[in-house]
Amino acid sequence: MSASAQADSPQATAESVADFLRRVRTGIEGGLDPVTAANRAADELPQRLARLVQLLSRRVRGEYHEDEWGFDEEFAEAVYPVFEFLYEVWWRVDAAGVRNVPAHGRALLVSNHAGSLFPFDASMILLAIMKQHPLPRWARFLVLDWAFVLPFISAFMRRVGGLPASKHNAARLLEQDEVVMVFPEGVKGTGKQFSERYRLQRFGRGGFVEVALRTGSPIIPVAVVGSEEIYPKLGNARPVARAVGAPFVPITPTFPWLGPLGLVPLPSKWRIEFCEPIDLSSHGPDAADDPRLLFDVSEQVRETIQARLYENLVERRAAFFQPL
Amino acid sequence: MMGRRVVIIGVASHWGRALARRLERDPEIDYLAGIDTGKAPADLGRTDFIEADIRSPLLSRLLPRTEADTIVHCGILWYPEPGKPARVLHDVNVIGTLQLLAACERTRTLERLVVRGSAAIYGCEGATPYFFTERMARTLPLRTRFQRDISELEAYVENFARRHPEIGCCTLRYQPEVGPDLGTPLVRYLQLPVVPTQLGWDPRLQLVHADDATAALEAATRSQARGAVNVAPSGSISLSHILRVLRRPTLPIPHPLFGPALERLGRRLGAGPIYGDGVRLLRFGRGVDNRRLLDEVGYRPRFNAEAAIRDFAAKSHGLRIAPSIHPGDVVGRFAGAAR
Repeated sequence: MSASAQADSPQATAESVADFLRRVRTGIEGGLDPVTAANRAADELPQRLARLVQLLSRRVRGEYHEDEWGFDEEFAEAVYPVFEFLYEVWWRVDAAGVRNVPAHGRALLVSNHAGSLFPFDASMILLAIMKQHPLPRWARFLVLDWAFVLPFISAFMRRVGGLPASKHNAARLLEQDEVVMVFPEGVKGTGKQFSERYRLQRFGRGGFVEVALRTGSPIIPVAVVGSEEIYPKLGNARPVARAVGAPFVPITPTFPWLGPLGLVPLPSKWRIEFCEPIDLSSHGPDAADDPRLLFDVSEQVRETIQARLYENLVERRAAFFQPL
Repeated sequence: MMGRRVVIIGVASHWGRALARRLERDPEIDYLAGIDTGKAPADLGRTDFIEADIRSPLLSRLLPRTEADTIVHCGILWYPEPGKPARVLHDVNVIGTLQLLAACERTRTLERLVVRGSAAIYGCEGATPYFFTERMARTLPLRTRFQRDISELEAYVENFARRHPEIGCCTLRYQPEVGPDLGTPLVRYLQLPVVPTQLGWDPRLQLVHADDATAALEAATRSQARGAVNVAPSGSISLSHILRVLRRPTLPIPHPLFGPALERLGRRLGAGPIYGDGVRLLRFGRGVDNRRLLDEVGYRPRFNAEAAIRDFAAKSHGLRIAPSIHPGDVVGRFAGAAR
């Protein structure tokens, strides 16, 4: 991360922009043509603004790199501060056991899924690794297919490392030694009522275990506490959901009553725990054809996450305001 | 293999001609013939041009007489061409392939059949595997006419291959090609002075460099690979990135209006409408896995997805008349400023 760029206050940036424009104007008034005037003024730009200009001009000229999945690291870095604010200020995330994520090589993170309107858990797990891990790395995450038939959201997801939830995508990423996040509960997890919070739903068909076995990746269960309270789902606007083709449209205490304000997530207190990796390499890739083993491992992961969820819920105490 | 006899179907098409030019230089090939309708391409040397329509049963009498051991089918049409309107596409693609297979059946000397197909068989959907492997064909609904045609003719070729295990049949599934002088609807679209895009969408694309497209076809003709093989560059590149590299200003249009708008605007600016699954391709994009091309055909594309576009940009810059107004170029003039 470009830590220095973030350290600059927006005020200082605005001042230097104004300064630049003033110098261009004096240049033009002094009889220079606009291009030369801008060039002269730019020579005197402060370092950090010069860097920004350089970055932007590189972007518009297409001189940047996207990997074969469409992940754009510079774009991800640009939106990083927004999520950093959510992580540090809004949700005060406590992350434990980040070192269980390997610094190199493949790993499959399996987590509970919640947050009806916008599930932020993937982004917060990603930030926990980026901020707390001694060797930060970008994790990729599998997203509900529906997000990829929506304009804007599909393009955004792809650029920050999201992919349509497909076994083929997960397997190929793991073969490339990436860290991949999956949410086996899927829509059942995000769409459950507030009264059922922190109760894990069925874990799909155990497809994630199959992928882990085939690629020889360790499974790291992740328990996320706090994501259930950001948009408490009290009801489901089923006719609206059917009309737009969405899996569900939640009704929360603030959405849709407050309009766009209802999109602001509630500031619950979050805890993320990365559990001990489950090493499956002893089974060999052919074990992926054994449905018994798939269900066993799937159940083991599910129980681990459920147990850690309860533990962390107790340790968190209040959901919103921490008693002193 | 010495003394090979090769017949190219659809030799008047761009790819048939390009392949014939390459094969003409090969001394191992004793006899080279091309079959197509219309006039013989002027730039071919020793290729024996046979005028015949792929749709006619006459092919069954012509083809055995050539005593060909290798037949390359380049006659599949992606989009209407002058003299080949939209309504004959199905006839040429499906009925033509059927006639060709019937003719192949009579050609006793045949050892190898290469069909130049299309990756359109995979379709374009929002949520798909990002890299289709050859086994994933027909897992998604076939939405356009061209997709159904391609799927149908591939099924015929597969059937033929099953009945004739002694003939090595290979279908190449091409991603769209890119090159400054290709003149395909997609290339003309990318060369528009202002490129309409679909608002909020940014598809991932893999465009095959024209040199790689021809070289892969040649490699497949020589190799022993059987079954379907994807032809695509490694990696992928998004449309927005492509247009920045090409310095083309974009005009985002809400996606329901994109097709009609492109048809209107395209005609006025000199690029026709986008055919077949082009509109869906420019919304959802498509990526395919090219490992079989590398490992089994043994051809490694010279250009990856980004390099193919950069080369295309470098070669089409000379075609510009007016100075560029793209912010990328404007910024380029200020490039000294940042240093």
